[in-house]
Amino acid sequence: MVFTSFNFLIFFPLLATLYFLFPTKHRWLILLAGSYFFYINIKPVYALLLAGVTLSTYLFTRLIDNTPNESRKKTYLVLNIVLILLPLFFFKYFGVVNEGIFGLLESLNVRWPLPSIELLLPVGISFYTFMAIGYTIDVYNEEVAAEKNLGIVALFVSFFPLILSGPIERAGNMLPQFRARKGPDYDMIVGGMKLMLWGYFMKLVVADRVGIYVDAVYHNIGEHNGTSLLFAAALYPFQVYADLGGYSLIAIGTAKILGMNVMDNFRRPFFATSMAEFWRRWHISLISWLTDYVYTPLSFAFRKYRVRGIVTALLITFLISGVWHGASLTFVIWGLMQGIFVSIEALTVKPRNNFAQRFNLKKRGWYIAVGCLVTFTLFAASQVFARADNLQDAFLVYARILSTSGPLFIGVPSILLFGLFGIGMMMLKDFTDEFMPSRFLLFENKHKPVRILSYSAVILLIFLIGVFDGGEFIYFQF
Amino acid sequence: MERTDIVTKLTPIFKKVFNDDSIIITDGLTANDVANWDSLSHMLLIAEVETGFAIKFKLKDLNKMRNVGDMIDIISSKL
Repeated sequence: MVFTSFNFLIFFPLLATLYFLFPTKHRWLILLAGSYFFYINIKPVYALLLAGVTLSTYLFTRLIDNTPNESRKKTYLVLNIVLILLPLFFFKYFGVVNEGIFGLLESLNVRWPLPSIELLLPVGISFYTFMAIGYTIDVYNEEVAAEKNLGIVALFVSFFPLILSGPIERAGNMLPQFRARKGPDYDMIVGGMKLMLWGYFMKLVVADRVGIYVDAVYHNIGEHNGTSLLFAAALYPFQVYADLGGYSLIAIGTAKILGMNVMDNFRRPFFATSMAEFWRRWHISLISWLTDYVYTPLSFAFRKYRVRGIVTALLITFLISGVWHGASLTFVIWGLMQGIFVSIEALTVKPRNNFAQRFNLKKRGWYIAVGCLVTFTLFAASQVFARADNLQDAFLVYARILSTSGPLFIGVPSILLFGLFGIGMMMLKDFTDEFMPSRFLLFENKHKPVRILSYSAVILLIFLIGVFDGGEFIYFQF
Repeated sequence: MERTDIVTKLTPIFKKVFNDDSIIITDGLTANDVANWDSLSHMLLIAEVETGFAIKFKLKDLNKMRNVGDMIDIISSKL
């Protein structure tokens, strides 16, 4: 079941009602049953994998907690991480490795009789596996106590608002909330609905409409000129932001209605003035996960090499981030590009700061605007590798942008116009939230008529120009 | 070593790592209060503190450092 399906619009209000009617002590049972129902609805057999990851994590975290022996604790930690990573690796990378070996043997004139296997990735596996690993490491580091109730662990790993595409939450935040015994909270319910409404706008109006144009250009790179390819490359970051950002808001809003606070996943990313800042605003839950569980241990291990050690840790972390997205050379390059951008910034931070301080630039509007523009351009350039199907396509996009020109491909004018209108609205909201957070309030306006008018306008826009036969969320493939 | 001695020794390290001569070290100081204190400079700070005090941190110690006060406690426990 996905958030944009009709089924979800029936499932969620029913579940929420049942949840609040149930005695608070056992309410988590409703959420657990609901979460498994939600997941089984996609493909029943994948729920077995989910249950396996849960069981392994539960057993090993209890073992870590119960043994005083440090080296045993470490063994249990490593065992669980390896065990639950196995399915992820199998489903995500088996095909690629298989093909690689096949190709290698073939080039040595050895025929491998096994046919290549195309496996369908169990949706959400990259997200819930990371949540389970995070929980195991937190128990090992004594940041959280191992949960004794298997049901609560199962709920943490399978919690339906988060299971398909995050935000990748932490046990320290979620476990106490699953146990909290609170009644329905009016402010939380209304707040959650506002987030969901804006999330649906981002997904249905912006992402899916812009996606039609971007797909049309990327499906036929050789036929399109540099102008159109440049335009599509500039639109794609907005599409991804509206897609995963919209999904995240729906997820956070859903949890909020049930009385739970989930971490933010995006914070107005296109107003970042550097790549380092961008990565503190974009897909926050993934990057903070990688920072805590990959970058910090790595840079700590390399710390005696000072800046060189940190740069190495950065490159490896972003490389892993790339490969997490997909087992392809395009994502390897995508990850390396982020690592290189952030490393160059880290190496030049002192002279850049001195320069900005000397001329008092940090608060100047044009300096901030240039920073945002450069950051966006670097990110959009790297996103060509995230969007293109393979390396040849990605390089072809660059080559054609540099070598061909001509009139812009319009396609169906309304699609492009409505898409651009959606981006405009989304960015206007982000702009006012970023630079004048207490002005031009709509959803949060103190006058009720303004609020109601705003909700109605957004709902109307969703029905008028939203795309309802649109595709899946982009991040379901990761 | 007294806490005040640790602070005296820490001050030049902080000034150097964060490139800011105006830093005043207090127990409540956190990364949010210092402009250049991010996850990159944090590890440089850790490495410089280790060298300056001739101590070795554990990864677990890093998780316990919520502010400079915690850091001073951990340094003092290793001296």
